[in-house]
Amino acid sequence: MTSGTSSPVTGGAARSGPATGGTGTGGAGVGAPAGGPRGRSARATGPRTGRPSAVWAVPGLLYFGIFAALPMVLVAYLSLTSWGGLGSPEFIGLQNWTRLVNDPLMHRAIWLSLLLTVLTWAVQTPISLLLGVWAAGPQRNRAVLSALFFLPLLLSSAAIAIIWRALLDPNFGPLAWLGPVLGLPTVNLLGGSNSAFLVIVFVSSWQFIPLHMLLYQGGARQIPASLYQAAEIDGAGRLRAFWHITLPQLRHTITTSSVLMVVGALTYFETVLILTNGGPGTDTTIVPFLMYRAGFRSWELGYASAVAFTLVVVATLVALLLVRFTGFGSMRSTKEGL
Amino acid sequence: MTVRLAEGPSGSPARQRPGPARTGPTPTRGRSKRDRPNVLAGMGVALWLVIVALPLYALLIATVQRAENYTSSGPFTPPTDPTLGNYWRAIENGLLGFVLNTAIVTAAVVAIVVALASMTGFAIVRSRTRWTTGVFRVFLLGLAIPSQAVIVPVYLIIVQLGLYDTLTAIVLPTAAFALPVCVLILVGSMRDISEELYEAMALDGAGSVRTFLQLVVPMSRSGLSTIAVYAALQAWNGFLFPLILTQSPDKRLITMGLFEFQGQYRIDIPGLLAAVVLSTVPLFLVYLFARRSLVQGMMGVGGK
Amino acid sequence: MRTPRLSSLAGAAALCLLATTACSGGEGGGGGADDRMHVWMYQDSLVVVQEGAVDRFNEASETEAVIDQVPGDNYEERLRTAMGSSEQPDVFFNWGAGSIEPYVEQDMLHPLDDLLAEDPELAEAFIPSILESGKVDGVQYGIPLRGTQPVMIFYNNAVFEDVGVEPPETWEDILDLIDAFTEEDVIPFALAGGDPWTEQMWLQYLVDRIGGPEVFARIHGGDSEGWRDPAVLEAAEMVQDLVDRGAFGDAYASVKYTEGGASTLLSEGRAAMHLMGSWEYSTHLDQAREFAENDLGYVEFPAIPGGTGDPANVVGNPTNYFSVTAESEHVEAALEFLKYTSQEEYVADMVENGEVPTTANAEEAVADSPNPEFAVFQYEMVRDAPHFQLSWDQALPPNVATPMVTEIESLFNGQITPEQFVDALAAL
Repeated sequence: MTSGTSSPVTGGAARSGPATGGTGTGGAGVGAPAGGPRGRSARATGPRTGRPSAVWAVPGLLYFGIFAALPMVLVAYLSLTSWGGLGSPEFIGLQNWTRLVNDPLMHRAIWLSLLLTVLTWAVQTPISLLLGVWAAGPQRNRAVLSALFFLPLLLSSAAIAIIWRALLDPNFGPLAWLGPVLGLPTVNLLGGSNSAFLVIVFVSSWQFIPLHMLLYQGGARQIPASLYQAAEIDGAGRLRAFWHITLPQLRHTITTSSVLMVVGALTYFETVLILTNGGPGTDTTIVPFLMYRAGFRSWELGYASAVAFTLVVVATLVALLLVRFTGFGSMRSTKEGL
Repeated sequence: MTVRLAEGPSGSPARQRPGPARTGPTPTRGRSKRDRPNVLAGMGVALWLVIVALPLYALLIATVQRAENYTSSGPFTPPTDPTLGNYWRAIENGLLGFVLNTAIVTAAVVAIVVALASMTGFAIVRSRTRWTTGVFRVFLLGLAIPSQAVIVPVYLIIVQLGLYDTLTAIVLPTAAFALPVCVLILVGSMRDISEELYEAMALDGAGSVRTFLQLVVPMSRSGLSTIAVYAALQAWNGFLFPLILTQSPDKRLITMGLFEFQGQYRIDIPGLLAAVVLSTVPLFLVYLFARRSLVQGMMGVGGK
Repeated sequence: MRTPRLSSLAGAAALCLLATTACSGGEGGGGGADDRMHVWMYQDSLVVVQEGAVDRFNEASETEAVIDQVPGDNYEERLRTAMGSSEQPDVFFNWGAGSIEPYVEQDMLHPLDDLLAEDPELAEAFIPSILESGKVDGVQYGIPLRGTQPVMIFYNNAVFEDVGVEPPETWEDILDLIDAFTEEDVIPFALAGGDPWTEQMWLQYLVDRIGGPEVFARIHGGDSEGWRDPAVLEAAEMVQDLVDRGAFGDAYASVKYTEGGASTLLSEGRAAMHLMGSWEYSTHLDQAREFAENDLGYVEFPAIPGGTGDPANVVGNPTNYFSVTAESEHVEAALEFLKYTSQEEYVADMVENGEVPTTANAEEAVADSPNPEFAVFQYEMVRDAPHFQLSWDQALPPNVATPMVTEIESLFNGQITPEQFVDALAAL
């Protein structure tokens, strides 16, 4: 095990620090426990306070490394090869990358992925926020209804996509039956360019709004009632209270939920595969589906890796930006700063 | 149904904050403007109710419809002669085996994630060496790696390990990709354990293992149940790993089973939908009997 | 100082172990490779024939064979991911020549020349031209396992009677019928636009009737400029014209064949005709028996005015093949199993399910078909065809076929013009 060699080294470095007293400061600074005299002194009292050595992190790190980090490195390597899944990958330099930069399908996939991200965010955030705040109220009927709203969360993406395929069937589905009643002659939602994309947006919202509603419900419950009481004394109406108290108080929840939505939308896959298969044509071929298509249909796994690597870079950038702007990473409690 | 969704701030016994026990946008006493029925909200909620409930209703109706009547009768009128035949057909097609496989995978993923994330979290929170910060950063970045993006090399690794078409092939990467979120959630939860408790353990002469088992684990129960819920959902709903990494019918998980029923059933839509309904039964039971921890677990995933 | 670190190391190791055992303990239900011989089949209603063969094989052989039915939607993806691993099937269903080339290139298949040399009876059991398509570079790698599958126009007799029209014999008839049926609110042709390989059948027949098989032969030879042949553009324009006339209704893009959507439209009389492979008959026999026995009609694809292609040409799948993997632990048993495809019972099973076998004695055998008329029609159609063109997406390598079917789908959906279609294909 590598830990056998690394542990004495770090241990030695820690022991060389000034051994002044002090029992640490609790968990407050975990976001940045970057050494420092205080940290080292705490390490010195380690054994007595039952502090774990860093070895405790090794199994998790190793495991994550093999099945998540190593694949990342491999993706980068495979993107420089030509590989059909049989035999060995063959190094071909930057060919996949020049192709990727010039591939109209890739440009379109990126555009569609970004559009999907923005649209799902714009649809889901207001609805789940309002529903969540509403559900946070103490009334009993709200609790009952929330329990009902929760139901889509029990279904897997595959199940949801299958349900909606059946519902939207142009000849035999309920919508085909409803269509004439509502005055729509034919229901070709999955076959139309824009409508198929909107169906994806709708179905993903149908699936994920319950989750985000829960997040907002949890967030809204943590807003102290005193704030509303104060607002009421000031004569603020419901709308103003929502605008000036609820929204600002929910800002951490909003960012958390947004990060989840954005990363989720960038990696949306099963629903597209089952519901539209990337079509009609390539109108719902978003980046993850393009990767799947290039890899496991065209069997150009090298090119698929280049697409995948792009996806990782974009997702990482977006996540980093969001983390930077929101402090999600420091895991601050939502109650801080009250 | 006795529904009491998450009361109190987050239900975590560990964080002894004097938070308001029951708060919310609507104060319960006094007559004020805020007590007027909120018509607009009511209408919005009613609309959402229709959007959520109508498809589910049509789904249930279709599953008790006889296959030969499905295309002819309206989707919203309950059949005059309901049947459970569709459900039997789904079971005959091996659905229970898929459920069992999924349960095995889910249990294994949860075990791995809980064990590794708790140890890693403990080290990150309590160990005072420079590189645990690095570990934390690694997992933070790991949040952004979409599992879809690495399916090609994961396939390569699994094939090299000789694990293709085994349930282990699904378990290993699924657990790995659940780790970052779980570590972050646990770090948040473990940080709330007060320093005094650690000192008491130390005075007792407890080493790190005892501290971990007798203090950290019990005190981060809520965090642990949150990550268990999260990991279980990831495993239960996983799609791409089983799609690429397994193929034989006896290794099929629920999601794959449904996907393949879709091609297999042909015009038997009621049978397919019955399979969909059956596939949610296990989670539904969990929801019925452990609603509170499930809901809090989900709130916890993003709520920290 | 030392003890605590050791203990924490031990704790870490213990937990790590716990995690692994939990995992491997959970593995019990999964199991690894068994020692049965795995036969991969494309999942459809015809698999009963192969199941019968496996039953007979298991009675006679010490090796136990088992059929793994792989859903049609992603058969080739599954096959290739499995072929890239150590869990390869022992025997697998394929489309012959082009579809097994990548595996032959990697020496992954067992050559069958010796088998045929040792067992001349087996070699002579099949129609030579059909056996030929199981070869790659002159070496036999596939043994025919199915009936022949020409594509033809199926129609619903009851609908034709209701509207008072006759089945089409010429292209003019087809255009007239489209008008007649649209007026009556019947979809003239069922089309599963969600599965673009069904749209490919239309294009393939049109190109063949207009320009003959040479057009695709050039493309198949690797010359993508072959797509610029005027026949392709004309065929694409005809597709556009058909769509504009409402030949396929207006919701075809949402219909999937693998869900049975298009076939049900035909059997329920909501569509009048359906261009499909001969397996459509078995599908209806399985799903809508009454319709298959009473009202299901069929005609050949008509000639196109001015076209140079022989109207007797056929497109579709000449047949499907079984191949044996080189690294199989059961090569001997697998070779033995292949012989079952020429046995009398096997051929009888095929005939009973409405297939027309590709064995040399098929002409006599089809007399026992549940629908001898249809069987003879099919048999003569294939026998008299100067050329039998394999489905394009099976003939071309997957990195060309995948974008090609997408372009076909876009053409049918009116998302691209015929000119754009030709340009896109030539650029592949």
